[in-house]
Amino acid sequence: MIYEDIGMNLLAYLIGKGVRTNKVVPQQLAEGVMGFPSITGAPCDSGCNSCADVCPTDAIHMEPEKIVLTAIDRGACIGCGYCLTACPTGTLKNDPGLDVWTYNREELVHNRPGASETTNPALKAVLPDSNAALATDNSSTASSVPGKQLNKNKRFGRKTGIYRASLAIRVVSTGCSACDLELAAASNPIFDMDRFGIQIVASPRFADVLLVTGPVPKAMHEPLRSCYKAMAEPKLVIACGTCAISGGVHANGYTQAQGVGAILPVDVFIPGCPPHPWQIIKGIQAVRNL
Amino acid sequence: MLVDLETLINDERTNRLRALVGEGDQLGLITSLDGRQLITLMLSSRGSIRCFETPIEGSTYRSLTTTLPAAHWFERTTWDMFGLRPEGHLRLKRTHLHDEMYANLPAPLAVDARCETDRHVYDFLPVQGQGVYEIPVGPIHAGIIEPGHFRLSCYGEIILNLEIRLGYVHRGLEKRLTSVPWQKCPLVAEAAASDMPVANALASVTAIESLLGLDVAAPVNAMRTIALEIERVAMHLSDLAGLAGDIGFLAVSSSFSRLRGIALQMAEVISGSRFMRGYIRIGGTARGLDQQVRSTLKNLLPILRQEFLQVVDFYLDDQTVIDRMEGAGKVSPSFAREFGFVGVTGRACGVPYDCRTVWPHANYPNRNLKVSVETEGDVLARARVRVSEVSASLDIIAPLLDQFEDFVVSHVSVPEELMKQAVGLGIVESHRGELIHLVATDENGRVKRYCIKDPSVNNWTALAIAVRNNVVADFPLCNKSFSLSYSGHDL
Repeated sequence: MIYEDIGMNLLAYLIGKGVRTNKVVPQQLAEGVMGFPSITGAPCDSGCNSCADVCPTDAIHMEPEKIVLTAIDRGACIGCGYCLTACPTGTLKNDPGLDVWTYNREELVHNRPGASETTNPALKAVLPDSNAALATDNSSTASSVPGKQLNKNKRFGRKTGIYRASLAIRVVSTGCSACDLELAAASNPIFDMDRFGIQIVASPRFADVLLVTGPVPKAMHEPLRSCYKAMAEPKLVIACGTCAISGGVHANGYTQAQGVGAILPVDVFIPGCPPHPWQIIKGIQAVRNL
Repeated sequence: MLVDLETLINDERTNRLRALVGEGDQLGLITSLDGRQLITLMLSSRGSIRCFETPIEGSTYRSLTTTLPAAHWFERTTWDMFGLRPEGHLRLKRTHLHDEMYANLPAPLAVDARCETDRHVYDFLPVQGQGVYEIPVGPIHAGIIEPGHFRLSCYGEIILNLEIRLGYVHRGLEKRLTSVPWQKCPLVAEAAASDMPVANALASVTAIESLLGLDVAAPVNAMRTIALEIERVAMHLSDLAGLAGDIGFLAVSSSFSRLRGIALQMAEVISGSRFMRGYIRIGGTARGLDQQVRSTLKNLLPILRQEFLQVVDFYLDDQTVIDRMEGAGKVSPSFAREFGFVGVTGRACGVPYDCRTVWPHANYPNRNLKVSVETEGDVLARARVRVSEVSASLDIIAPLLDQFEDFVVSHVSVPEELMKQAVGLGIVESHRGELIHLVATDENGRVKRYCIKDPSVNNWTALAIAVRNNVVADFPLCNKSFSLSYSGHDL
């Protein structure tokens, strides 16, 4: 009898709560919430280096001679907001956008409006050489699905790729668990990513996509490779979180934690430290246009 | 806090520390600054700290483990990171640097890196007998969890022994913390375990502010307290949801994760980030407090409290839940004292140790704080401690909100240099338990050693002890009930 009572009460509670998932997918973070810093047109003070000085991951790049802010690398930015506080001229502002994912590592670098990408040699140096990444990988294909450039479609609704009906994801965590918690939150009743046909699976054998969080330190190189090998073709890789993209604060240490790109070919990059659940869901949805 | 280093010679070390433990002190941490000495931190529950420096010539010293079991993991780590070998340690194995991966790497934190050439393949403790078999689990787990390897030796369905091998997420964080400018340390320290960034940042700024001789304003301390408690509420809710999920009670599990959303909303309101990343800064906080934030918090608090109590009613009194949790993963109080288990794990087996009543951080110590203690030491006890701590944290936040004025972030003039040749300490009660950051500076005021002791370092041993004689199917439940951090241990 006790079982029944609790069961009925629980059911009554759940129905009485009337909890509903967000029906409308937002386009922006709520007001006051920190996104990424973005560069406005406002000119820098001459000689001011405040933002680059406080950046813990050297994500902010200055023009070497003139000391003018030229680019922000979202693949390295951890969204701490120190630069926003430090900027005296309003050159940096908070960007509340949720569509932060990209198909390419280069697109994560946001240049000052009007500046061309080639102006900064220091920036060139930090971006990974896509050929070098593949040299360390045994598999032969850079991206298992051809023509991903052509299909780029940032709309959230209709999907065009082979995964349009359902998508099974294998998550490999190699980091500090904030991204993992946000990924778990993306499956909770509020965000409910399962309604889009996205499910997290417990084996690489079932998976279409390998989603990696964390900077992939040396001890995880081999387990990650074997997980990727165990997946059936066609297969895709998502790098979720700043660490997975560039190593974040852990880059260039003795543990060779340089992100997934150094080990496997990456198809979608979702920056953030950690990314908001909506940013993650939108990034995963982007896979389905491939 | 600033601490003075007392010299304690190697020959007297064991007896002296044993005597201190007899007086009721407990081991805080054992580490080294640069591989030429041992640092032993002894904490007393009365709030006094002793920090011993033991000069080491050569690369060996006498192990403490046989007299003080709590030292066992620290000695293994010190061997790994500094090349200092504890003579007489019973199970000396690597904790961080895997032999297969780092065969030629000299001890990374030692100055004159004495390369250990005897790195060999890790051998698990063999359990033998007819019908005994092994289940290897990990490093990659089935769910969304950090990586680690578990070797379960089983007889039928019963677990005879569990050996835990960590280090898969060793990212070299302590080395990184000494190479970045100290102003950036709190941010990098947040990445030690990003599910407790507030605790890590708070421990970091507490240590660094003591090295700067900087006192922060009362409203700032109050907001730091609120941030710490919000994080505790959010993570306890996440752990309670995980426990419910592991016994298949999904309605309660998703209700708790929805409630965690309210806690994260409170975090977002005060800091602009769900995890409060970058909120606690040296000398202050990233944002101030205005009327709007205050009223939003005041609206959310009663909602969270009421809904939480409602869901808890369905949870721990349910007979099916009690059946699964009672008696599972039991840790005895004597083990807890001997191995120095901290946080929820310790309090669930009757050790009433809560850093918030002893050590200065944010608005603490508050000696009148009621510490939630259970005596059974099983999964149910740990769940009960968490439930009562969530309510207690909400009780701390609500009145605190009325006790200080609105403030805006003003520029705090932070001194340019850290105190020279000093040791600063930050001890914080995170949701997992006692978190210690130790920052030592050299003669030029540079950080020469930044040591992080995550509460999980103490508590991983608790898991290994608790699962013995449990069935294999209860292993995930036991694991979840300790809420251990892989990355916090691996650094």
